Amino acid sequence: MMNVAYFPGCSLHTVSSEYDKSTHLVCESLEVGLKEVEDWNCCGATAGHSMDHELTMGLNARNLAQASLMNIDPLVIPCPGCFNRLKNTNIRLKTFSSVVREEERSMKNPPQELPRVMNLLQFLIEVIGLERIAEPVKIPLKGLKLAAYYGCLTTRPRKVAEFDDPEQPVSMDRILNVLGAETVLWSHKAECCGGPFITSELSIALDLSRQVLETARHSGAEAIVVACPMCQLSLDSRQVVVGHDQVLQPRLPIIYFTQLIALAYGFPIRRTGLKSLFINPLTLLAKKGLA
Amino acid sequence: MKQAGKKAMIIGGGPAGMEAALRIGQAGFESVLIEKEAALGGTILKLCSSFPRWESPLELVEEKIKQLKHCSYVKVMTETTVIESRTRHDGYSILLKLNNGDTTELDINAVVLATGFEMMDVSIYGEYGYGIYPDVMNSLEFETLLKAWGDGMGKTPQGVAFFKCVGSRDRSKGYPYCSKICCMYTAKQAGLVKDMFPNAKVYVFYMDYRASGKGYEEFVREVIEKKHVRYVRGRPAKVLPDGGRLLVRAEDTLIGIPIEVTVDVVVLASAAVPRQETAPLAAMFGTKTGEYGFLEQKRFSLARASNRVFFAGGCGFPVEAPFAQQQGASAAVEVIELFSQ
Amino acid sequence: MEDNIYTPLNLNDIDDSIQEEIRTKCGIDVDLCLECGKCSGGCPNGHIFDYTPRKIVRLVKLGDKETLMTMDALWICLSCQLCLDRCPSGIDIPAILDYMREKACRGGVEASRPRVKLFHELLLSSIRERGRVSELDVVLKYNWKTGEYMKNARLGVKMLLKGKLNLSRSRVKETEEVRRLFEATIAKDLP
Repeated sequence: MMNVAYFPGCSLHTVSSEYDKSTHLVCESLEVGLKEVEDWNCCGATAGHSMDHELTMGLNARNLAQASLMNIDPLVIPCPGCFNRLKNTNIRLKTFSSVVREEERSMKNPPQELPRVMNLLQFLIEVIGLERIAEPVKIPLKGLKLAAYYGCLTTRPRKVAEFDDPEQPVSMDRILNVLGAETVLWSHKAECCGGPFITSELSIALDLSRQVLETARHSGAEAIVVACPMCQLSLDSRQVVVGHDQVLQPRLPIIYFTQLIALAYGFPIRRTGLKSLFINPLTLLAKKGLA
Repeated sequence: MKQAGKKAMIIGGGPAGMEAALRIGQAGFESVLIEKEAALGGTILKLCSSFPRWESPLELVEEKIKQLKHCSYVKVMTETTVIESRTRHDGYSILLKLNNGDTTELDINAVVLATGFEMMDVSIYGEYGYGIYPDVMNSLEFETLLKAWGDGMGKTPQGVAFFKCVGSRDRSKGYPYCSKICCMYTAKQAGLVKDMFPNAKVYVFYMDYRASGKGYEEFVREVIEKKHVRYVRGRPAKVLPDGGRLLVRAEDTLIGIPIEVTVDVVVLASAAVPRQETAPLAAMFGTKTGEYGFLEQKRFSLARASNRVFFAGGCGFPVEAPFAQQQGASAAVEVIELFSQ
Repeated sequence: MEDNIYTPLNLNDIDDSIQEEIRTKCGIDVDLCLECGKCSGGCPNGHIFDYTPRKIVRLVKLGDKETLMTMDALWICLSCQLCLDRCPSGIDIPAILDYMREKACRGGVEASRPRVKLFHELLLSSIRERGRVSELDVVLKYNWKTGEYMKNARLGVKMLLKGKLNLSRSRVKETEEVRRLFEATIAKDLP
């Protein structure tokens, strides 16, 4: 049994709650206690780093200070955007005492060090390990042909993420393989989905999402597996728009990798949040005898 | 007239090593040329043609082998490797492994390292897919394909793209240095493709082209102007699979727009690095190698790395065959000088 | 006739200050740039940028502050990090753009993509208000301010029905702490 500090970020409590739910299920099976960071604030999202560097540092320094008060290591972050900003700040902070509240200075056990900052995928691969991840599998995901999609920030830039290979990442593929699924070789596994612009410049987002969806389709994938709330939202909720004038049928379900782990671990469908996805994955899963 | 008690060992039978062994022998000192492969010649055995005169490298090797045979002070030992060395007051005691598995001892008074260079492993460039897409290969592997095409084998290509500076001039994932010979051999390779397949579209993606040598600039201009190889200035960003072929994405920096092109083969002019055996061999003789594993000469010397250790050719820095030969001769001169004291 | 006067850029007139600023404030040395174009070749938006990533670095070398702050590329960079990750000299182009964008905003320079800027500002407003982003609030305000009242309405309803919009609109407890972070920054003047 190990405890980790957990930073869900804004999306996981709202539009991407199924990522949060399934992460909790997976960690339950792996005997990892997720201790949510007390009173965490938004990491600044795209707006923060785009508009105000110091503000973003400040917001994340506060988060890191809050996390370090828990004296638990590492800090695990499911959203790659939050991970990028928190890790960046972690790297740049030389001392954190300047952002710790006055009261905390008088604490009996004042936080000594900033925790290691890891994204969820990284934590599962590097700390838990593939062997351990394979243990609770009750329902192997046989027959599923999946495209593992890493997006931008799980592995880039390499100096910040320090995880996997940014051009040909394999970590998610390996997890899906130990669950019994087949993963395809495809060209866009780490290309941008256009997520940052789904509201303000939709045409850009659509163009990039289409490329991801098409190349996944051409590689024979039946579904795309993601590790990022923005990628999921972009590829899933906009697929009906993208696919409108293209021949993209049948639709490709966009599933969080944690949902598939939870499924393989034998959790009932209603708990995995698979039903809340826009493109329904249940038809595909039923066809493979998995649902 | 044979000079007693002076024997040199040359490790590596490429152009540099062959030349060094020959010149030492011609001066009347015993030279033993050790080569791990079955035949002499080194890397140039694999090459189709050469720059800047489109000559056959095999002819050079044959000529050298003839000259070596002619010189009674030269002993050639192929399929032989150096296992260990013990330092003595006047040289080294070497233990060699022969082609039949036996070992033999040899006492020498000087060693010339001529182990050459090899291609860097460019699978680290995941964006190019080396090791993932079978039609992405390095320049040395491409020479084999050129030979196959020359013999009428293999599929006729409709498009070939050459990427220069893969691993060279790269402070981020590769080596900061320039590998010197790639601009020239790439021009050669591109020209050969056009000669064999005039209808094929051949592209060379470059940052610069470095053609500083006698006849070099004219050679590259001939490839561009007469053979119509298309040079595009821009380091490619990515190779994507495209219906069985390969799609290259880059920027044409001279006009400043992103471009893409579909080809059948992508050739990566990879950084030239010292062969793996270089550092351990140097260490055997108490010699250090430099930051990137190349041998370094002592100040004011031509080819001396340390007291009785000399080097020539690609193990010092990437170099083309004629200059590897010259370096071999320089090393020989300094060995002869040592032996004449 | 005045249009035909030959006025090329005189290299002696180049203003070094922006290159220096980026060196000292961002720790980025654009002299390392080999101008190879690998960044531009892989940029997902390179084909719609008015200045490709390589050209952006060139603009820094040429001291062209104005173009750097008014160009369209400034607002449609995805910050996907592909350029930085592939650059043989490790030049952090996304960081250069972040720096120039912030400088442009502080200097009151008009954004070429006002909707992008608006969306960023609304996100930051939400964070200043409650410490976290309330997607519902942001999107509703965005629709209101852009006059596209019914934009994504169907999507919104679907999301509501799937329980994806947290109506309780969570907030941090120590909102004051978060607000203080906004004081010294540009975001204090947010709508």
